Order: sequence, then C-alpha cells, then structure tokens
Amino acid sequence: MALIEVKDLSYTYPQAEQPAIKNINLEINQGEFILLTGPSGCGKTTFCRTLNGLIPKFYNGEMTGKVIVNGLDTADHSTMELAQHVGLIFQNPDNQIFALTVEKDIAFGLENLGKSKPEMYKEIDWAAEVTGIQELRHRATHELSGGQKQRLTIASVLAMHPKIIVMDEPTSFLDPVGAEHIFDVLNQLNQELGITIIIIEHRIDIAAKYVDRIIVFDRGEVRSDGSPEEILSNEDTRLLGVGIPRILTLAKRLKDEAIFDNNPLTVDHFYDKICTVIQPASNKNIKPPFDLDELSGEYHHKPLIEISDLYFDYPGNVTALQGVNLTIHDGDYVAIMGENGAGKTTLVKHFNGLLRPKSGNIRFMGEDIKDKSVAQLARKIGLVFQNPDDQLFEETVEKEISFALHNFGIKESLIEKRVNWALNLLDIGKYREKSPFALSGGERKRVALASVLAWDPDVLVLDEPTIGQDYGQKERLRHFLMQLRTQGKTVVIVTHDVEFVAESQPHIVLMADGNVVTEGSTKQIMTTTEALARCSVAQPEITRLFTRLADYGLPNDVVDVDEAYDLLNRKIREARK
Amino acid sequence: MSLLESLRFTRGDTVIHNLDPRVKFLMTLVFFSVSVMFMDIVPLLLVFVVQIPLVFLAKVTNEWFKSIKGAGFIASFIFVTNMISFYYFRSGALTWDLVEYSLALTMRFIVLVTSFSLFFITTSPDKLSLALEKARIPYEFNFAFITAIRFVPVLADEAQTIMDAQRSRGLELDKGNFLTRIKNYIPILLPLIINSIRRSLELAEAMESRAFGATENRTNLYELKMNNIDVMVLVVSVILLVLAVYAKLYLPPFPSLLGNGPVF
Repeated sequence: MALIEVKDLSYTYPQAEQPAIKNINLEINQGEFILLTGPSGCGKTTFCRTLNGLIPKFYNGEMTGKVIVNGLDTADHSTMELAQHVGLIFQNPDNQIFALTVEKDIAFGLENLGKSKPEMYKEIDWAAEVTGIQELRHRATHELSGGQKQRLTIASVLAMHPKIIVMDEPTSFLDPVGAEHIFDVLNQLNQELGITIIIIEHRIDIAAKYVDRIIVFDRGEVRSDGSPEEILSNEDTRLLGVGIPRILTLAKRLKDEAIFDNNPLTVDHFYDKICTVIQPASNKNIKPPFDLDELSGEYHHKPLIEISDLYFDYPGNVTALQGVNLTIHDGDYVAIMGENGAGKTTLVKHFNGLLRPKSGNIRFMGEDIKDKSVAQLARKIGLVFQNPDDQLFEETVEKEISFALHNFGIKESLIEKRVNWALNLLDIGKYREKSPFALSGGERKRVALASVLAWDPDVLVLDEPTIGQDYGQKERLRHFLMQLRTQGKTVVIVTHDVEFVAESQPHIVLMADGNVVTEGSTKQIMTTTEALARCSVAQPEITRLFTRLADYGLPNDVVDVDEAYDLLNRKIREARK
Repeated sequence: MSLLESLRFTRGDTVIHNLDPRVKFLMTLVFFSVSVMFMDIVPLLLVFVVQIPLVFLAKVTNEWFKSIKGAGFIASFIFVTNMISFYYFRSGALTWDLVEYSLALTMRFIVLVTSFSLFFITTSPDKLSLALEKARIPYEFNFAFITAIRFVPVLADEAQTIMDAQRSRGLELDKGNFLTRIKNYIPILLPLIINSIRRSLELAEAMESRAFGATENRTNLYELKMNNIDVMVLVVSVILLVLAVYAKLYLPPFPSLLGNGPVF
C-alpha cells in the first residue's frame, strides 16, 4: 500500500465560492522526493494542509474524498496525532519557532507528546546532528540567520520522527547558497533515512536535480505528474508558467540537432552530451575581433546617486556598511547582489534618507542629501519594499495608490490622472474598488508597486521583487522593468535571483560584508568566479556551462539562452561539416 | 524606553545567572523590602554596597550601568522635587539633613532599580516560565508569556520595516498638530495589526502541526533543582531580612551622615 493515498479529494474553504482543490487522486510511496509546483494560487499549499488534517479540522470548510496517510484516515485522526507521521513546515520560519533557545525549540513537539527528559535529549542530539545545527544548540532563536532558522524548523519536525516531511517554499527567504544547503539537508534525509519529502518550490532550477517526481497543479487540479525530465520538457508545463531550467530550454531548442536522447536537467549532464558532438578548439576562448561591449563601453549619462565612503552601524555597534563607494547614473538599470546580511537593503535605505550615514556622504543630482527630509527625497526616489503587507492599509486599491500622492501634496485633479495611469500600467484597473487585502499575493505586490510608481519618481528601487513570485509573474515584472527603462527611469533592484538577472542583464554591483566587492556588466560579473563565490552568488546555469566549454573555442561570458543557442548551433554545424 | 530595554536578559554562565529563579526572586524581594523599610541613607547605602559585588559577580556591569543611566532622569527628578518641596515647607531654610533626606530617597530608587535590573538581566525567560510552572500557573499562560517574549524582536523589526515603507511613501510622522500626529500612525498600526492577526493564524497552524496539546502530561526539557548555592543564598537572604526588621524595630535610628547644619 502506498504511504499516502488521496482519493477524489475536493475541498472548499469556508465562505469561498469555488473549491481550492478538486478531484485529486494521488499515490505517494515511501522514500519519494516530490516537488509540487504550479502557478500561484493553484492549490498546492491547500493540498499540503490536507496531509496532516489541518484541512478540514483547523480550517473547517467542506472536504470530500479521502486522504490516508501511513494507514490513517485523516478524517478520523487529529492533527496532533498525525503530526507524528507527517511533519509540516511552513514558509516563514519565524512563525513556527516557539522557544527562545534552539535546543528548547527542537524539544517543543516532544514536550507536547510527553516524552521523558533522556528521550528528548537523545532526539535533540540526533536531529541537530542530522541538520547540522549541533553547534547552535544553546543559541537564542532570534539571533539565527534565515538559513539557520529554516534548518531549525526541519530539526524540530524531524525530532518527532515523521515518515513524511512536507515543506512549503522552504527557501524563499534564503540566498541561493543557503537554499542549496537546505536542499542538501533534505536530500540527505531522503537518501539516508528514507524519509518521504514533499516540497513546494518556485525555484525549479535548484529543486529539479534533487527530486524524482514532479506534480504540477493548476486551478486546483493535478495537471501532470511524472519524472522531472518528462514534466519539465512537456510544452504544457511551460505554457502554464512553470519556470523551466534554462539548461533544459537550451537543450530543447537544440533538439533538431538530435544530440539528446533524454533531456538534461543539470549542467553536468548537458556538458557530457554536448562534448560528444563538438570538438575542442586549438585556439582557446577566441574573442570576436573586436568586442562590441568594450568598443561602445557602457554608455553613462550624468551621475544621479553618488555615494562616497559610506559607513553605517546599527544600534549596538553592529557594523552594516564599511566604506561603500558607488555611483548610479541617470537611466541605469542596476542590480545589487550578495548574500543575506551583506548590507544591500541597508544601502538602498540610505538613498532616500531612511537611514543616515555614520560617516561619508551621499549626493543626489549633485546635491548632498544630508539636509533633505525622507519625504523630499522619496518624491524623487521611490522605494518598493519586499513584502507588500508591510505597507498596504487602505480600504480600496484606489485609495492605497493615492495615499502617497496626498502626502506629497499633489493637486486633486492630477491625483485622479496619476492613479488611473498607475492602475493601467500594472493592469490592476479591475481591482480599483476592491480591498487590497482581498487580492492574491502577486496582485498585492503589484498594488504596492503601483502605489510607488503613481507619483512618478525618477529612480525606482525594488527590494527583492522576485521573491515568492512564480515564473509568469517574474516574466511580467521583467517586461515591465524594460518598459520603465525605455521611459528613461533609473531602476535599482536588490535581488538573489541569478536567472532573473541573466535574462534582464543589468549593471551588477556585488556586495559582501558591508562593502562593494566589484561591479560591472552582467557578462563581466558572471565570469568573475572568485568575486561571485565571495558574495555567495551562483553563476547562471548557462554561464556555468560555457565556463566548462572554454576549451571548445567558445566565449565564457554567455549568460542567456538565446546567445547560447546561436553559439552552440553554429558550433554543431561546423562539427558536422 | 531605554530603561525597559536595559532590562533585557543577557545570557551568561555565572553564579548569579545559574541561581534558581525562585531564590533569586526572593533575594530581589528582600532588597525591595529592606529599601522600603528605611528612609535613612546609611541602611540604603549598605544595601547598595551588598548589591554592587553581585552585579560584578554576574558580569553585567555594562547592562546594569545602562539601566542606572536610563533611570537617571527619574532619580534626579526625585532629588530635585524633594529638595524644592521641603525647602518651601520648612520656610526657606536649606539644611544638610534636608539634602541627606533627598539623597536617601534617590538612593532608595537606585537600589530598587538595581535589584530589579539584576533580576531581569540575569534570569532567562525560560527559567522564569519554569518558575511559573512550579507555581502551578496553567501551561497556556506560560506559553503565552514565552511567546510574547519570543516575538518582541520579531514585531520590533516588522514595525521598523512598516515605518520605513510608509515614510518612503511620503508619510511624515512628526508633522501637524497633536491629533494629526496620532492620525499619522494609522498607516503604521493597521499593517502591523493585520500582519499580527495573519501571524497568529500561522502560529496556531504550526502549533497544531507540532502536536500542541496532545497529552495532559506535558513534559519540560528543563527542570528546576535547588543546589547548595541556592540554599545558601536563600538562608542569607532570610537572615538579612530578619536583621533588617530587628534593626528597624529595636535598634536606635541610624546616625545622620551630614548633620543638620545650614548648607550656606
């Protein structure tokens, strides 16, 4: 019998008109590592909640069909009982850490089950060991980094010895290196302990190489179910807006050349195959006779934001910035990258005066901003924060967007115009009279963006705009940013999303330990492996491939699929001649 | 605010940190009652002299000093108002006994702040909760207490982010008259409240998923056990209290330090 059996499952949230999931039939076996994916709002999270009985017991609502987990019908058993079979881990680690120290938090579930002290210490030792947080045992939970918190939540669930661990977007708050680390831990649990793992994740490029089965949800139903190779190379999956790993996209475009019998998901796999077709070149890494980029240089307009020797400490002498020098020019598109805690957000909060330097100075349009208020600066420099829920508060979307315009004292007649403009620009006109709280996450994010764009700032700064967004939403954002640039806006994004960067090719500023490590065009930066490693930024998949192909007479600074396709296609044809 | 902040627990591994929280609380109560019993400067100074080595023993001098600094304003306020009121009540004669009396009251305040800051700085909320548990307070209250403490830094961060986000949208908090200023805080309070409601739902879900309430006989990873040092501190505290009561009731009043001559 399968470990999890789902039969004809449908569920409607209380007061909802439509079912969140319907007619789901699935069997999941012991030891599987499963990725659940699909566009935002497709019912993935709802499905996970049925696995330990939170649905229907905690949420009420109407459930039909059966879910049988490890032989227990979830309708007949309480969540606290099922918790010992299924460990459910939610998106935000902060909301599931209950204790003040690491060790005590791991014990929380065991205490609830009434385990004895020696038993608890045994389990804590084991769970901390497996997740690699042994040395953090006595630390205070609020001092942990995002990755450490996420590992703690795994350890806390693991201590109860579940057969199944279910995680809802475990890596959305982490940098790529931290995310890789979480997947390594999960992989180990799966391989060595045989624990069945089910994860929801938008970062398919990271997840694809670990999982052995992908289930795609769409509008509450299972759309497809199969091996990663099969699902990801299916055209239907791409059209749904699931992010296909770039390396696979490239392989599929080269399909006509009949190199790949099965679809490569990893750079290694792709490399092995392509090497059987193309030949190493004697003249390594030939550059074109003249480099267009170098000839034209990066054309710069006049400097807009000039930062020199910026130092900043948070209260309690926590050093955050240590002598940052950076110039952003009018019309630039800049991405600030680096690991969590490198000082990226701290830096952009200086742009509009939210934070004031300990020493050093900042000029905007040639003027020192020391004596300008946040409101004065914000009028010119719009900052959009990561989480829209940290700023939405009005009754309707329309009021939300006009809030800032009233603050800036813009004329009533003009406000009307600006609001309409912003609503149209982000395609949220139909929600004008709706409460922002009734919208989905992606829509709320767009409202937050519109509420800043409405006053037409010269510079737009976006903090982690792609977090928690599915592939389709990211694509829309990318097009939107391009559109803003053609209007002459200066755009700065703070991001971890290497693939997003590879496709939109901004000027990159790499930060580590409160300082700028290096800056340059996407192509330049993505080939400087040392600096990237120092800043915990991974190379895009395509660049990783071309770094390895250096011996084949191909340039190594390739970042996007189109260019990669052209180069490889030409190379293959040459080889076949 | 800085006074409250300086009362935050600071981890350490000293005799004072490791005292049983119940014993430490009793010690604090003894300091409290002794300083309330006397209005003379000598016994208050004596208590202070006993407290100082404890602060050093706990290696929390910096934190303690911060709390004293935070209390500085109130302390000077006590001194000044006492001086002024007595000066006028006593028809304008400024004498040394008056200064001494005001100093004693100020000293009393500092002794009280020291005893409580020493307790809170060196007692982890976990231990406090254990003490509550021993006092047969239902676990739900205990859990609420720990959760409140756990989420103070989280909510503080969130409030800061919301404030930053709204200021970036041109909100000026300190603009306008009193009423407008209160209204200015609505865009900050609303998201904070809504996020907290959302958070509480998520917390409840996570609690269920960790078998909260599965058994009546919930166990605890940590336990309170009194050791020899605890017993010793307990005995010494009680002896001190008895001595203080005896001194108050049967001994002649403490001598004055500054006499009662005129200041000028």
